[in-house]
Formats: sequence, structure tokens, C-alpha cells
Amino acid sequence: MTVVQPLPEVLESLPHHGLRRGALPGPMAPRGALPTGQPALDEALRTDGWPRGALVHLDAPAGAGATTLALGSMAAAQAAGGVVAYLDPGHSLDPATASRLGVSLEWLLVVRPADAAEAVELAAWLARDGRIDAMVLDLAGAGAARGLDRLARLLVRSGGVTLLLTGAAGREAAGVRVRLRRRGWLAVGRDLVGQRVEASVDRHRWALAGGRAEIDLYFAEGRRTDPLLRAAATPAPVVGRVEERPALRVVGA
Amino acid sequence: MTRLLAMIWPELRAPEADAAPFEPMLDRLDDLSPRIEAVDTGVALVDITGLGPLLGEERRIAARAVAQARGIAPLEVRCGVGENRWLAVLAARLARPGRPGAPAAFRDLRRDELARLPVDLLPADPATRQRFALFGLTGMGQLAALPRSAVGAQFGPAGERLQALARGHDPRPLVPRRRPERVVSRVPFEPPVEGVGATALALRRACAELCDVLRGRHLAPGRARLALLLEDAPRLQASLAFPAPVLEPDWIARLLIGRLEAAARNRRMEEEPRVVALLLALDRLSDPASRQLPAFEAQAGRWEELRWSLERLAARFGEGRLWRAELSRPTASLAEQRSRLVDIGP
Repeated sequence: MTVVQPLPEVLESLPHHGLRRGALPGPMAPRGALPTGQPALDEALRTDGWPRGALVHLDAPAGAGATTLALGSMAAAQAAGGVVAYLDPGHSLDPATASRLGVSLEWLLVVRPADAAEAVELAAWLARDGRIDAMVLDLAGAGAARGLDRLARLLVRSGGVTLLLTGAAGREAAGVRVRLRRRGWLAVGRDLVGQRVEASVDRHRWALAGGRAEIDLYFAEGRRTDPLLRAAATPAPVVGRVEERPALRVVGA
Repeated sequence: MTRLLAMIWPELRAPEADAAPFEPMLDRLDDLSPRIEAVDTGVALVDITGLGPLLGEERRIAARAVAQARGIAPLEVRCGVGENRWLAVLAARLARPGRPGAPAAFRDLRRDELARLPVDLLPADPATRQRFALFGLTGMGQLAALPRSAVGAQFGPAGERLQALARGHDPRPLVPRRRPERVVSRVPFEPPVEGVGATALALRRACAELCDVLRGRHLAPGRARLALLLEDAPRLQASLAFPAPVLEPDWIARLLIGRLEAAARNRRMEEEPRVVALLLALDRLSDPASRQLPAFEAQAGRWEELRWSLERLAARFGEGRLWRAELSRPTASLAEQRSRLVDIGP
């Protein structure tokens, strides 16, 4: 027959066994956040933006707006007084496009590593240094990269944010994972000026995951005309999958 | 009464002259007087007021200054003594050697001697010189004798200043220079070591020792200079100016070695150089807490801080990694023509 010891006696005997009672879990210290540039996504993340110290994986098929969202986030980080970097082993960054998306080239450090491995190493270096507020690690088409776990740990310590643009490589290391899926095109007349994207927060280390948001990502040219379009457009009820507006309309994908 | 000694080295005044000996000569002149001003490259003013009882008459003081300067570089020098900077410098300009080929010349100039000198010696612009000629003013005495109000009416405030000089008045005080402080370390190698890389350990130790000394005084260097004395070749030198005062001996040593290796590569030496000694100097010393970062734009200050990190990063990963983008032709049809990248590596 098993004799079950009462709980108070068990607790009293703890010190004799070299054990001690742990502290009660308290609320986590508030972390700052960097705006994503998309208020709806800030709300869906439940942390008012990308949480500081996060390695963020933007999980999106090619052309789904991950780079546009990342550059928009860089512009928002700069507007908040930050210095940003773009690590570009594939030499795919077009500074003119970045500029049209609101990025100030004056405070953008462009890093061109030789390969993906060096890109991760350089990112870790910049993260440890702690002087870059946000960076984009564009590993799309740059091959497999190792060391992302280490980068994630360094970021937690330094408080910077890194947006990872890649396929499935960074899925496990990332503290925040946002999936982007195109839901429609934004058109003016017969010209496509952007896309409507559904962003779903699949993983969030610092808040509850599961948030969703619909965000409009304008192409570089579209963003420039966006205020005029918004001024001209009047809200109209969504009819089926086509939202009718005098100037701007959303075409179902 | 103030007495100033002006020294002019004509060879240092030439446009293509190597001005390197000038600073060491001023350092040497510090032994003569604590108040020395570097007026311009190759022109120095030494305050010799009150040195008479100690060093003798002014000509002997000048001779002593010349001897000290020639200990650094045997250059021809002209010396002049006057009671203000205008008279002293003019005296030096007018000094002529007593015999041909003499290395030094000396002249003493008093106010009453100015009247006989031409107005061309005054520091006037060509238009004013021309107007002096139109008015028939050829000698300083003529200009000095005119009423000040009349000169002011005709030539303005600049004319009044020139008249004051012609009368021998110059209110500009001597502004003594602050002797640039530096800490130096010399490490001899016996026997000589082969290759620049072999000196890295000694350099790191020398850097650490100097940084320790400076840390104790709450100072940090703004520049490091390194010279390797070679057995049978001219010395290899490297200089590194820091974006901010810094006390990180490892990084200072690493960056200096990187620059020296580049210098050795550029020289295309066939064999590894044999290094006899290492000379390390840290200067531009200042308080590490007194950095002034640009205000009003948050990123400007952050970027200044980042520059030092980028130096290290370039040293670690090599050149061609760090860039800044600029828009060149934003409306060009081809994407690659719209912007360009500028290397910001060291």
C-alpha cells in the first residue's frame, strides 16, 4: 500500500533534500516594440509592433509582399529615430524602390555578404553590437543558412529586431512568425498598384499568437499616389469579392 | 614691454614643401619659452619677454632658438624681434643674412624705423595698393602722418587698420599653442622578427599598456600612429584616426596591423621585412566622456556611434561588405541606373 504524505509535510521537508520553493511567476517585464508600418498588423501582433529582441520570420511565397512589408517596417523604424540595415547576399535590394517605400537611404546601412552563412554571421555581429535597431536579413535564394538560433538568442539580449526573408529555413529559430497570403490586387482603372494581403501571426513568443490582419501593400509607385487615391475614394460596401470604389478597387485574387 | 621673436622658415613656406619638421621644431622651442604661437606653416612667434636676464641679449636668444630648431631640421631661418607681432614678423621678413650662405638672419625693428619703409610691405589687397599709389602714398611714414578720420573716410575700417600698422600699432595678442600631448611606446626586437604579422603580439601589449596609462588619467586617444623600423628598408608606417576617443587596445592593434599589412603589400616587398623595432604613439587625447554627437536628428548621433563598429566589422569580414545607397537618377527606366552604392568601408 502506498502512503501519501500530506502536502504541508512535503513542503517542510524540501530544505532537507536540498530543494527550495521557486518564486511565483510574475508578469513579464514590458518589452518595447518597433512599428511595422501597418497599424492593423501592429494590432494583430498584440505588442504594438515587432517586439524588440525578436527574430521575425516573414513566411510568404514569392511576390506576396514580404519585401515590401519589410521595407515599410524599416521606414517606420527610421521614423521612430532608428538606424536600420539591409543584409543582402543576393544583391536584390533596389535602393530606389526602398526610397519610394519611405526608407531614408541616409540612415540605411546596406551590407552585402558573400553568402548566406556570412550574412547570418554579420547579422549576429550587428545584433551583438546593438547599434542597429532593425535589420532585414534577405536570404531568399541565398541557400541554406546556419546559426539562426544563435542570432535569435543575441537579438533577445540586444533588443534589436531582425526580419528574416527566406523560405522554410528560419521557421524554427524565429520567435515571431507571420504568414502572408495574397487576398487580392489593388487596382486603379486597369493598373495594379498594390495587393491586399492577409497576415496571420502563427507564432509569437511574447504574446498570444493567432492574430490576423488584412493589410494593403502598395507597390512603390502606388504608395506614392496613395494619399491622392484615398482622398478620392469613398467607402463602398463589399460586393462579393470585388470592393467597388470610384478610384480604388480590390480585385479578387 | 612685450618682446616677440618671429621665426620664418622660407623652405617650409613653399607650396610643395614637406611641413613635417615644423611641429617637432615648435616642440623643441617649448624649451625656450612657454608661449609659442604657430602663425602659419613655417612661421612661429615666440614670446621672449623677460628672458634677457636669463639668456642674454635678444640676438643671443634668437641664436639659441635657431640652434634648437636646427637640431630637428637644418633649414634656413629668418628671425625678427619687435614689440608686437606685426613688428616682429616684418622684422623677420626684412632680415637678410650677414654673409652669403649663412643659415640664419636676424633683425630688430622699432616703430620709428617703419616710416622709411614702403607701403607695399603692408598686408593690403591689390585694390587698396592701387589707391595708395593714386593718392601718392608710397611710404609708411606718409600714411602714418595722415589724420585717422581722413584715412577712415577714404579707405574705410580696413584702411584704418593699415594705418595703425604703419604707425607700429598691432593690438592682436600672441595666442600660445597647446602642446599636443601623446603617449609613446618603443618596443625593440632582438633579434629582428620577420614579417608584419609577427609584431602583432608585441603591438597588442604596447597598446594595452598605453591604454592602461590613459585610462588611469581618464583620457582616450583620438588617433594611433604606428611605425615599424626595418633592418634594410625604409620604415613602414600606418595611421588610424578614430571616429571617437576609444580605449580598446585589441581593436586598435588589429586595425593598425591591417593597415600596415596593406602598406607592405603596396610596397611589393620581395621578402618578408625584418622588423628591428616598433614605435607606437597615441595622440589627440581627450576625455572619453566628452564626445559631442550631432543633435536634432536622432540617427546622426547613432550613425556616429556605428562608424566605429563598422571599422571593426570591415576588419573582421574584409572590404566590399558595407555600403550606403544614394539616388543617382530616380526617374531612370532601368532599375540599376536609379541608384548607386557607395562603399563606406575604411
